[in-house]
Amino acid sequence: MKKQIILTLVIALMSVFQGLAQEWLVPDDQKTLTNPSEYNLSNVKKGKDLYMKNCKSCHGDPGKHNGLPLVPAPPDVVSEKMQNNTDGELHYKITKGRGGMPQFEITISDDDRWRLINFIRNFDPSREQLLVDAPPKKAKLLASVNEVEKKVEIFAEVEDANGSFVTLTDAAVKISAKKAFGNLPIGEVLTNADGRAEYKIPETLIGDENGMVNIVVQLDEAYITDNVVLDAAKVGQLKPQPKLIKKEILWSTNENIQTWLLLSYLGAVGAAWAAIAYVVFQIFKIWRLGKE
Amino acid sequence: MDKVKSPEESRKLLDKITFDLTRSIVKRDEFTNFWYFLLIIFALVGLWGWGIQIRDGLGVTGMRDYVSWGMYIANFVFFVAVSLIGFLISSALHLLKIKWSKVISRVAEQVAIAAVALAGIIIVTDMGRPDRFLNVFLHGRFASPIIWDVTVVTTYLTISVLLYYLPLIPDLALLRDKGTDDIPQWKRNIYRILALGWKGHAEQYKLIAHAMRILMILIIPVGLSIHTVTSWLFAATLRSGWDTTIFGPYFVAGAFVAGVAAVIIVMFLYRTRYGLKDYFEDYHFNMMGKLFVLVCLVYLYFNINEFLVPGYKMKTAESIHLSNLFTGKYSTMFWATQFFGLLLPITLMVNKYFRKPVPITIISVFVLIASWFKRYIIVIPTLEHPFLPVQNVPENFQHYAPTSIEIMITVFSFMAALLIITVLAKMFPVITIWEYAEEKGISREIISEPKK
Repeated sequence: MKKQIILTLVIALMSVFQGLAQEWLVPDDQKTLTNPSEYNLSNVKKGKDLYMKNCKSCHGDPGKHNGLPLVPAPPDVVSEKMQNNTDGELHYKITKGRGGMPQFEITISDDDRWRLINFIRNFDPSREQLLVDAPPKKAKLLASVNEVEKKVEIFAEVEDANGSFVTLTDAAVKISAKKAFGNLPIGEVLTNADGRAEYKIPETLIGDENGMVNIVVQLDEAYITDNVVLDAAKVGQLKPQPKLIKKEILWSTNENIQTWLLLSYLGAVGAAWAAIAYVVFQIFKIWRLGKE
Repeated sequence: MDKVKSPEESRKLLDKITFDLTRSIVKRDEFTNFWYFLLIIFALVGLWGWGIQIRDGLGVTGMRDYVSWGMYIANFVFFVAVSLIGFLISSALHLLKIKWSKVISRVAEQVAIAAVALAGIIIVTDMGRPDRFLNVFLHGRFASPIIWDVTVVTTYLTISVLLYYLPLIPDLALLRDKGTDDIPQWKRNIYRILALGWKGHAEQYKLIAHAMRILMILIIPVGLSIHTVTSWLFAATLRSGWDTTIFGPYFVAGAFVAGVAAVIIVMFLYRTRYGLKDYFEDYHFNMMGKLFVLVCLVYLYFNINEFLVPGYKMKTAESIHLSNLFTGKYSTMFWATQFFGLLLPITLMVNKYFRKPVPITIISVFVLIASWFKRYIIVIPTLEHPFLPVQNVPENFQHYAPTSIEIMITVFSFMAALLIITVLAKMFPVITIWEYAEEKGISREIISEPKK
């Protein structure tokens, strides 16, 4: 019995300290791999999206050191522990995983894994930082609905350094439908060189009983602007209204009332009031007799 | 019926009966004025409270999302219960040819009319928008117990008024013809109109008897439904404490207890105030006491069923409700109503001594108060424990306590009911003179002969 406990303890300790005690060895041929993906803004941005989806839950926000308190601790992207890896080492570790770190060999494509490394390198102090979190800028957003063509027409402007508004190009505009419990995202569109964009509303969008949809148009967090809410745009399909009460039930509404119940009620009330009317008629007869 | 008397004796006796029974109409002293003053002041204070409630909405009450039926509904159930006595005494006992109840039947009808009229008004006070009251009739659902309740309350009120009015017609004619000059002229004008030119024809008596019989039979199903349907307002839900099949008879039995108590109190007040010792005799109190014990025993039987059976099983939700009543927040009120409203009255009134007028009236006051709290216990604790968990809501949503406005309006309902009873007693004899005279062996010819 005692032996068993000690054995269990040893195994448990071994597995806990496995990560701390042992170096994460990467095969030499993997270590020296170079990143085939170009270090440019587009790849870094894509890498950021991948990071947000797959890595952030444990490694936390870059530079904030708010990763999950696991053993071993998932290092922050900006940390030396992360940045001291070669590209090949990072690629190997992401691909194969170990202990608490999952392997992404199957879930993320090889190209995307390299893009993820581009994003990590964005925080490498020896490189030029391509993706900078700039303070949000003031913007103006205008939108209207073309009910005939089922389109949302958008125009956006942004405040430049001089404080005047100029057209906002290449900005992502999110379009969603306002529902009872929050906004349902339905699509995204980029503004063109004139700061304009058009979004075709999908045919499948379901509105209310009259096909009305409240459309919300918004820019991302990089801009300060009020969301545009287009109330009651007739662009959706009619909401199907299944009959909630399909057959006659005892407690139903007047449309679905059970015949026997209605007849019993009316019969009883009718009989009682007929008897009352008869009694009143007797009183009338007493009065008539009194006049004779 | 006593032995046949000579016309002279009969006339003398009839004059005495008429004199005694019109004392309530004639008598007007300082106390009368004070009593009216008291009732009207309290009723006005209540109406003022109602005005505030209409102006500011039901938020002035203690009712919130969870406890949406409060003191008003408890009070409504209480008044419906009290009104049921009219059906028991003036119909059921009459049809069973029980003689002693005849003297009491007009008192019972007075109580019934006052109670059922106020029950209707209390429901309106419970509405946030009383101006939409007509929608109940315009858009009501025939499958809803609430509509059945509205229907049956109005029907019962109509029948009660007719049942009060029909035996009154010969009395009105008698007062019109033989009334002394002490009776104010305006009252005698009203008698003349309401007497419908009654001449005491055999044909007219026959019509009254015929109409009365129809009403007495009609009021049995209507009277039973009024309180059964009121109980269905609760029993048609799934809530613990209300989800029970015996609620109909349980309510009806409870109603008789409350009603008998109310009638005994009113009888006693008339007896002492209007000197009617020879009319509401000790014998009547004794018989009412026996009836009281009977209805209490029936109600006790239903109470045991209502609490012992679910208490034996203690289903999860039910046990929260029951332990709340037995040992929790409402235990004092619960055991007090059971003790003062049932156990003590039964134990005392099986003894002859406690069926004498004074002790039985004191017992009745206790029972009536206990009956009111009993309704409170039926309505509120169940609502405080809904099936869905109560969370993330303001503190005052979770518990119910009546506000002063609610208490004012409830006091108004009591004062208004007493006012109706007082006005009826001041306007019309509290015992049917002609029936009583006939019992004493006075012939119909003498009753309906005009004043010398």
